[in-house]
Amino acid sequence: MAPNVLLSAPGTLTHRVGTVTYCSAMGRLWLSALGADRPGIVAAMSGVLVDLGCNLEDSTMTNLQGYFAVMLVVAAPKGVNAGALEEALEEVAGRFELVVAVRPFGDVPALGDTTAPPTEPWTIAVHGADRTGIVRDVTSALADAGGNVVDLSTHLVGETDAPVYVMTLWVTLPAGAAGEGAAERIRTAAAALDVHCSVHRDEVDLL
Amino acid sequence: MTVRAVLTLPHPVLMAMATPVGSVDADARALAQDLVDTMRASPACVGLAAPQIGVPRRAFVVDVTGHRKAVSCHGTFVLFDPELVSADQPTAGREGCMSVPDLTGDVARATRVTVTGLDVEGQRRTLSVDAFEARAVLHEIDHLDGLVFLDRVVGPHAVFTRKTYR
Repeated sequence: MAPNVLLSAPGTLTHRVGTVTYCSAMGRLWLSALGADRPGIVAAMSGVLVDLGCNLEDSTMTNLQGYFAVMLVVAAPKGVNAGALEEALEEVAGRFELVVAVRPFGDVPALGDTTAPPTEPWTIAVHGADRTGIVRDVTSALADAGGNVVDLSTHLVGETDAPVYVMTLWVTLPAGAAGEGAAERIRTAAAALDVHCSVHRDEVDLL
Repeated sequence: MTVRAVLTLPHPVLMAMATPVGSVDADARALAQDLVDTMRASPACVGLAAPQIGVPRRAFVVDVTGHRKAVSCHGTFVLFDPELVSADQPTAGREGCMSVPDLTGDVARATRVTVTGLDVEGQRRTLSVDAFEARAVLHEIDHLDGLVFLDRVVGPHAVFTRKTYR
C-alpha cells in the first residue's frame, strides 16, 4: 500500500490513495456558506463538490444560534475556478437559502522565516458574566505576548438577565519560559475583566 | 536489535483485529524484542503495539519510567494476549500516537486498570496500573482491536493538528 506521506509530495505527480485522487496541480478554493440550519445542507453541498471532481479538505462547520456556518478548503481540478464552483452551487444555495462565497485560496504566506522563535501549544478557557471586550482584551494580550490563535470558539449561555460568556482558545505561545510570561499577561487581562481564565500548556503524550 | 518501521494510517493492519499469540515461542520473544527496540528508538514513546510494526498479533510493550504523569510504574513490560480485568475512573487526556503522526486528540481513559496476559517467559502476569501507565496500556490494547485514539476522541473539537508546533 502506498504510504500516506504521498499526500504531501511535491511536484505535479498524481497519487491515488484509496479511491481519491490527489494531484498537486489541483487548485485550492475557499468556500463559505451560511444559512438557517436544516437537515441536508452538508450532503447537498458535498454532492456538488463530488460531481465536479473536487475534494473537501480542511473544514469547519457548526451551528451558530440556529444558523449553520460552513468554511471549507476545497481542492478543485483544473478548470473549476471560484466562479465555476459558485455557479454550480447556485441550485443548492437557492434551495437551502444559503449565502455562499467561493474565492481562490492562494499559498499561505509564511508567518516568518525559519529563524522565527519556536512556539508551543496552549489552551485557554475564559468564562464569566458577559461584558463588552472579553474577546478583544484577551486576544490583545495574547497578540502582545507573541501568541497566535489557532482555534477559537465562544458561546453565550445562561439566563437572559444573567448571560454568561464562555470562550475557549487553542493558541501558540513562545516556547519555554517565555510562554509562562505570556500566559501570565493573558491571565492579568482576564482578571481586569473580572472573568475566570485558565491558561495551560497542552501536554501531549506519545503512546 | 531491530528497530522496525512504524506504520501510519491508513495502513490496513492498524485497522484490523490482531490475532492471539497463544503460546510464547521464539518468534513471540523476537517480536517482544522488536517492540522494545522500536519503542526505545523514539525517546518520547512510552508504548507500542505489534500491529504498529506490521505484526497483526496481540502483543504490546509499555514503559512509563520517568514520565512525570506516571504514578504506578512497572518498568518495561511486554504482554501477549492481554485481557482487561477491570477499568474504571475515566479521565480525559491528550494523546499522540506514532501511527497518527499529524494529529493529537483528547481521549477519556480509565485511570485504574487491571490487565492480565502472558509475559516473555510465557508466565501469566496480572498488573494493576493507574494514571498514565493505565492510559498507555489502554491505548496499546486498542491497537490490538484495530482502534486508534481517533476512534475514541471526546468530540469533533477534540482533534488537533500537530504541525503548528512541530
